[in-house]
Amino acid sequence: MPNAALKGQQKPAEERTPILAVENLHTWFEVRRMGFLKAGDVRALDGVTFELYEGEALSIVGESGCGKSTLAKTILGLHHPTKGKIYFQGTDVTQLDKEQTKQYRAKVGYIQQDPYGALPPFMTVERILREPMLINGITDKDEQKRRIRQVLEEVKLAPIEDFLPKFPHMLSGGQQQRLVIARAMILEPKLLVADEPVSMLDASVRVEILQLLRKIQYDHNLAIIYITHDLSTVRYFSERIFSMYGAKIIEKASTKALLKNPLHPYTKALFEATSDPDAENLKTFKEVPAGEPPSLMNPPSGCRFHPRCSKMIPGLCDREIPPEFQVTDDQFAACWLYRES
Amino acid sequence: MKSDIILDVRDLKLHFRTRKGPVQAVDGVTFQLKRGQTLAVVGESGCGKTSLVKAILRLLPRNIETFTGEVFFNGVDVMKYNDERFRKEIRWTKMAMVPQASMNSLNPVIRIEDQIAEPLFLHEPGISREKAMQRVAEVFKVVGLPLDFLQRYPFELSGGMRQRATIAMALVTNPELVVLDEPSSALDLLTQANLMNVLKKIKHEYGTTFILITHDIGTASELADEIAVMYAGEMVEQCSAEYFYTDARHPYSRKLMASVPTLREDKELQFIPGQPPSLINPPTGCRFADRCEQRFGKCSEHPPVTELEHRQQVQCWLYVNGKGEVKHA
Repeated sequence: MPNAALKGQQKPAEERTPILAVENLHTWFEVRRMGFLKAGDVRALDGVTFELYEGEALSIVGESGCGKSTLAKTILGLHHPTKGKIYFQGTDVTQLDKEQTKQYRAKVGYIQQDPYGALPPFMTVERILREPMLINGITDKDEQKRRIRQVLEEVKLAPIEDFLPKFPHMLSGGQQQRLVIARAMILEPKLLVADEPVSMLDASVRVEILQLLRKIQYDHNLAIIYITHDLSTVRYFSERIFSMYGAKIIEKASTKALLKNPLHPYTKALFEATSDPDAENLKTFKEVPAGEPPSLMNPPSGCRFHPRCSKMIPGLCDREIPPEFQVTDDQFAACWLYRES
Repeated sequence: MKSDIILDVRDLKLHFRTRKGPVQAVDGVTFQLKRGQTLAVVGESGCGKTSLVKAILRLLPRNIETFTGEVFFNGVDVMKYNDERFRKEIRWTKMAMVPQASMNSLNPVIRIEDQIAEPLFLHEPGISREKAMQRVAEVFKVVGLPLDFLQRYPFELSGGMRQRATIAMALVTNPELVVLDEPSSALDLLTQANLMNVLKKIKHEYGTTFILITHDIGTASELADEIAVMYAGEMVEQCSAEYFYTDARHPYSRKLMASVPTLREDKELQFIPGQPPSLINPPTGCRFADRCEQRFGKCSEHPPVTELEHRQQVQCWLYVNGKGEVKHA
């Protein structure tokens, strides 16, 4: 397994091949009045561009309604994009026919937020793990057994024989989430999309699942997109962080750079609002931007954060949409404050 | 002059009857809470946090097997009150609660102001509507909601606003003690920070005593003066917040702290292997022993509570006979 490259000595970005390239992606949902009159569009994803490299873990942070789950589901092919392209290993996956889509989906694993909701309650563990193989034409019984054994070992659901006949309700939350990970891994994907994989779990189990995912990622040289609202877990998980607000990516940075110095005022606010356990917190109030996230049907003109931003530049931020400015080697921000850099 | 200790709970037990046997959800919990302070009760799901406060407020289901112990509220043992007297004199007039996910249980067809006023009409019979609405407007301001939202229906409010409305409902009767069960876990990060600011303000300005139930120690640190750690129905550690985050003593509390990811500090995260014991027939000795790296022979017996320096109370054999010294490393 080519995991040596991942333990701290990654190749520079230019030499690596992107496994996934997303170009100017838009996913809009039509809103109807009285069932047939078009009332407008919810712009859940409005112009997102990025590249993801082989074996890279990428975190996407943002609050509910910022479009992060829509991004995940559009990449997985669960939503059809309104505009834009998604290239997976060089092929545009938005233009595939039915059979090709099936093949694409076998290469992309999905880890859902609520493990119990994601597991069919009437299927045993064995059946749940066999299902993706049946759908994708792996019918050889020995091969099926080998793969089931391998993924269960990997997610540490042992002894394996005890777990095979169990139903999801007989497992604890952490075990359920391991099973979801095992199911995502059974077709040996190249990319995993994990949508808030630990938000429903207890703190002590959370770390265990994140470390497990990290290990699987190293062992298989997997690319992972980790979607979360919790900034404090990303440090332990990813190489790069994107921060999303109002259906757009507003900051792209390496984890190290972002945690040291978040650039975009919104990322700063998220950073400020996260509390670490510290007795000093009792004495101070947090600075929180006023207001609510914007409506995605009628997003504000210019920068979508400008109505809540304390550093708003009148005449600029409220008129022009900020492009992405490169501020340092590994940090980009879509904010007019950095227009000189 | 009322005494300094607002709540004094001694050996509180709450066992539920189930087909498989009694579930010992709260098993011999003892703690004290000072007026104006906030106690954060932390622990994994299913450790009995919510059952503990429901037992204190006597919001109980029907399948009760055992409900014993003493709860002194302002020096009076309210466990001796019958249900009707408790309802009239204590619940919501002196102690109120914001249950978990209560922001989703507002009645969708009743205006916000009428819902917030309801406890007033129940607990202060004969209060005029005018006066009640005046009081509602007051608490609305306290929780930081604009007054023109009074006339609206719950669906017109955002999640953070609805959560504030339920807190207003708990505050409207001017209780001395408010229990908040996971008040911010369903909210977004910025909304959560906002809510903690509001609670902090209420605490400073009105001297309200809070019990905050949460599994998020980071958020708890915004409000808590004292931290109580629960494990498998027992309170295994109670400690001032000043020392807890850096110097927790019980092996479980230490593991719990080591599993909390931090944003500003890079530390090696740990997890706690294994699972908490079943609360039906839990082990007779220390309930954490199976998962504890520091267990020794003594741990098969039930550990007593030892008070260490800084009034830190720990239920663990490691600290017995040691006067705050760690006996076994």
